Amino acid sequence: MKNKIFHIANFIFIILVLCAICILEDVLVSNSLRAVQTQCYKIEKLIEGRESLKSMDVVMAVDNLEYMWRQDESALCFMVNHKSIQEIGQEVVRLKTYIAEDEVTEFKVSLEEIKHYCYGYLHFMGANIHNVL
Amino acid sequence: MLTIIIRSILIYLIVLFVFRIMGKRQLGQMQPFELVLTLIIADLATIPMAEVSVPVLHGVVPLLTLVVLHFILTWITKISQKMSKLISGKPVIIINPKGIDYEAMKKLNLSVDDIFAALRESGYFTIAQVQYAIMETNGKISVMPKSESAPATNGDLKLNVEESFLPIVLVNEGKIMKDNCTLAGYDEKMINNIINQHGCKNLKEVLLLSIDQAGEGYIQQKDAQGKPFTTKRLVQNEK
Repeated sequence: MKNKIFHIANFIFIILVLCAICILEDVLVSNSLRAVQTQCYKIEKLIEGRESLKSMDVVMAVDNLEYMWRQDESALCFMVNHKSIQEIGQEVVRLKTYIAEDEVTEFKVSLEEIKHYCYGYLHFMGANIHNVL
Repeated sequence: MLTIIIRSILIYLIVLFVFRIMGKRQLGQMQPFELVLTLIIADLATIPMAEVSVPVLHGVVPLLTLVVLHFILTWITKISQKMSKLISGKPVIIINPKGIDYEAMKKLNLSVDDIFAALRESGYFTIAQVQYAIMETNGKISVMPKSESAPATNGDLKLNVEESFLPIVLVNEGKIMKDNCTLAGYDEKMINNIINQHGCKNLKEVLLLSIDQAGEGYIQQKDAQGKPFTTKRLVQNEK
């Protein structure tokens, strides 16, 4: 009887752990990536029509994006393969370089890439028939 | 490198936990679905161990999922005979009194050599000695010998023998086995008395001390020969 209870308790515990991990992953991934996407849209709006990136608001917006990503990245690494999300970090670093070099076109390309990665990962990390198969 | 060491320890502990709750069956006693699970678990565990970029959870989640699947399959095989046959298969008679069942042999993809190897493992060297051989669902072959080839038992010889008892190890390499002592009804003082009677000054000198319920004991010092002894009987003789 004791053994049976132990087995049932184990079974329930494992199912709860699996459910918690799935929910946590879903919440963490979608929150983090959507926050990055939103920040990218903000930066995009900020540089609209500008010919130079060397302004305090752009620098602060990119710094903010970097800070946000660094914080989320460490949490995401518990759930997601590091290699799958490192491109976002690399593109964020490139954004800073493009501000220093005042490369507007390259900056916009990088911003687009971050948005594209985020969109791609949001699709890739969800449980849908394409991912399952 | 430290990360890999810590990950290895962590995953080892998790796999140990997984096998612990899956039961104590040996490789040869596993049902097909259990063997499949074991092979997958072994493979899964190595991925996050060696690849640092892969989160440990990527190894743990499939492991736990397989444990849940194992629980469910075990439960299904217990409650449904049909599902049990579907998942684990059913025992097949491969040798009957007429000889080898060739159809069953072909179905199981066995060769005559395989059957002979199994018979030899069971202690029979010709098919003439065997009444039945059954291929179990775990892949083992059980052999039932013909009456004339079966070893004689005390019952066959109508011998009146005393019931045998399970020897309980009380001291193992100088350490008192507390659970076993409770089971046998011995305390530390009684054990010390026994070892003193047999010339041991303290527990550390004792390699092994075992006693069965009939009071038949065996003691061996680390640097001496073992010797049997008799002490008080723990169960009363009903005769």
